[in-house]
Amino acid sequence: MATAEMPTVARRWARAPFYFNSAAHLIRIGREKANNLAELLDALKLCPDASIFQHTFQTLREHHFIREGFSNDFAHWAFAACNEVGLAERLAGIDIREFTSIAALRQRLLDIVEAYLKQNPRARDRAAFEPFYFSVSEVVVIPTPFVARNLAEFAEGIRQVSLTSIHFHFIDARLRLKLNSNDFSLWLENELDVGRLAERINRIDIYTATLHDVRRAILRVVQSALG
Amino acid sequence: MSTEENANSEATLTNHPAAESSVGAGSLAPPGAPSIERRQRPRPKISTTPPVPPPPPKLEDYEAIIGKPELDDLRFLARQLRGKTVKMVNSTAVGGGVAEMLNRLVPLLNELEVATKWEVITGGNDFYEVTKGFHNALHGGEYVVTQAVKDIFLMYNEQNRQRMEFAEDLFVIHDPQPAALIRSKERNRGRWVWRCHIDLSNPHPEVWGFLRPFIDQYDAAVFSSPAFSRQLAIPQYLFYPCIDPLSEKNKELDESVVAKVCEDFGIERGRPVITQISRFDRLKDPVGVIQAYKLAKKYVDCQLVLAGGGATDDPEGAAVLQEVMDEAGDDPDVIILNLPPWSAIEINALQRASTLIIQKSLKEGFGLTVAEGLWKGKPVIGGAVGGIPTQVIHKLTGVLVHSVEGCAYQIRYLLTHPEYAGQLGKNGREHVKENFLMTTNVKRWLLLFQILLGTSHPLPPEES
Repeated sequence: MATAEMPTVARRWARAPFYFNSAAHLIRIGREKANNLAELLDALKLCPDASIFQHTFQTLREHHFIREGFSNDFAHWAFAACNEVGLAERLAGIDIREFTSIAALRQRLLDIVEAYLKQNPRARDRAAFEPFYFSVSEVVVIPTPFVARNLAEFAEGIRQVSLTSIHFHFIDARLRLKLNSNDFSLWLENELDVGRLAERINRIDIYTATLHDVRRAILRVVQSALG
Repeated sequence: MSTEENANSEATLTNHPAAESSVGAGSLAPPGAPSIERRQRPRPKISTTPPVPPPPPKLEDYEAIIGKPELDDLRFLARQLRGKTVKMVNSTAVGGGVAEMLNRLVPLLNELEVATKWEVITGGNDFYEVTKGFHNALHGGEYVVTQAVKDIFLMYNEQNRQRMEFAEDLFVIHDPQPAALIRSKERNRGRWVWRCHIDLSNPHPEVWGFLRPFIDQYDAAVFSSPAFSRQLAIPQYLFYPCIDPLSEKNKELDESVVAKVCEDFGIERGRPVITQISRFDRLKDPVGVIQAYKLAKKYVDCQLVLAGGGATDDPEGAAVLQEVMDEAGDDPDVIILNLPPWSAIEINALQRASTLIIQKSLKEGFGLTVAEGLWKGKPVIGGAVGGIPTQVIHKLTGVLVHSVEGCAYQIRYLLTHPEYAGQLGKNGREHVKENFLMTTNVKRWLLLFQILLGTSHPLPPEES
């Protein structure tokens, strides 16, 4: 779709370049474990922030190839191990893009599980088919050779970098920025003054798309601006 | 295995009657299905001597599989470790999954210029009897830990400790056998990792009580699944077992190779094939697989392949094989193959020729045959035990079952819904690519080494 900012955008140089990074993750096994929903509730209160991050943000990277039916580890466990479909649906409805702090995300998880157990007290101590093991991800940032100084170079970077890099900038970034945005959109808006392009990229749905799809969707938006 | 045993361990195909008569579909065929000509299957043609193993792949060979950016990540992480040295120690140079993994991991780390040595401890029969007892006891079996047992374990560990040098920066000690080498930590610099490949979820208390003081001295432990770990004071990391996509068992095969193997084994390519690859062991439930096949076959046409080893040199394996043959009866569509250990290409071809892969274990370690099947893009039906649920995410990367009836239903469903089955297979391959490939494990080791040596500082979650 053409917009007013497009005729000149292809020739525009960014005030500051965009450096594409990637990340490597190592999973550390946590101390908390839940055998039923009551234990899940307790563990959700006690587990480190890194565990909440792992089972919501990071798990999307680990399962990036699934287009539908996967939202976060808690929802999947409620469905597959506890057979609590109603709870699973509510947990799966959490959109991590709405959260700019782990504390707020943790509280949302607690609210959902508490409300469900209030309505379904018998589900509280029913043994899960397999325990939920909390873990944390240790993340090391890795630079890549890709740098963008204009929209064409940005498109080339998006084309070339790994899916881990896409996840790092597009999904992980929200917590780092503490904004409902992502690294790509922020750079496009602040350094290239293409706010509408940035907004269109920010609206790409990560829950109905694989990371391959996200890459393709970003490229489509950028290509439409490049003409 | 001796040469004579090798000669006797030629693949056997046992359950096919010589009767040439045509039979009606009868109760085993779907309604309306064409009658199946019963024939004598050809004896499989498999070399009775192991082939010469190909040279290990180079790092760049993986580029076509994981992509250049992933390789660049590995090279970057390795650069941070330049000049550091690593020693890996285990208890056997050949045979078993650990040696197989080290045979690939060590050359790749060295190619990345992270100088890595692999050393194997030595011991007498008495040592290996003790460590085998420990192994079984750590899996929950019975064992009596006498002072003599402890002395044997400690004596051989001490002998090896005196024989070996510990000048490296990092030491990775695999499994319990060499665990007491940690005593060298006091005298030397370096960081020590205990890589536990076995399931410690229900260990014999005395055996674990004896080993734990050694484990507590390590800087970190690595387990294959959170379910296999113990509460320890040291950090515990998760490294899934992995497959090598370039190994004989997993590399891409020409269609002609697959066709030849199927021809040799009497498998019809035009009809659905469901396959379980595993040694003849009751915990793999091969009899349950045949029962599920029989239930499914009332509604869908298919052939069942049960291929594995362990029935030639293991009396229990031979007994299980007999049970399997009895359960199969004279059904010509049940193909039972007792393969020698060097049948990687044949197993690869069987998996690739399959419409569905089954791993209906009743108890399982990690069950890497599942990852092998997923890597080949096949829909997998797995028993919900051990490490299988980690690989088969129910209804997303495969399906999990808990019973013969459940397995039969899933066979029917997947054979009659090929689009859904195809999507499971596609997702499964991506799941393996993300989590269970050798290159992912190389990355995990590089990261762990960096974290232990303090050459990288992981970001806290709100900054990552």
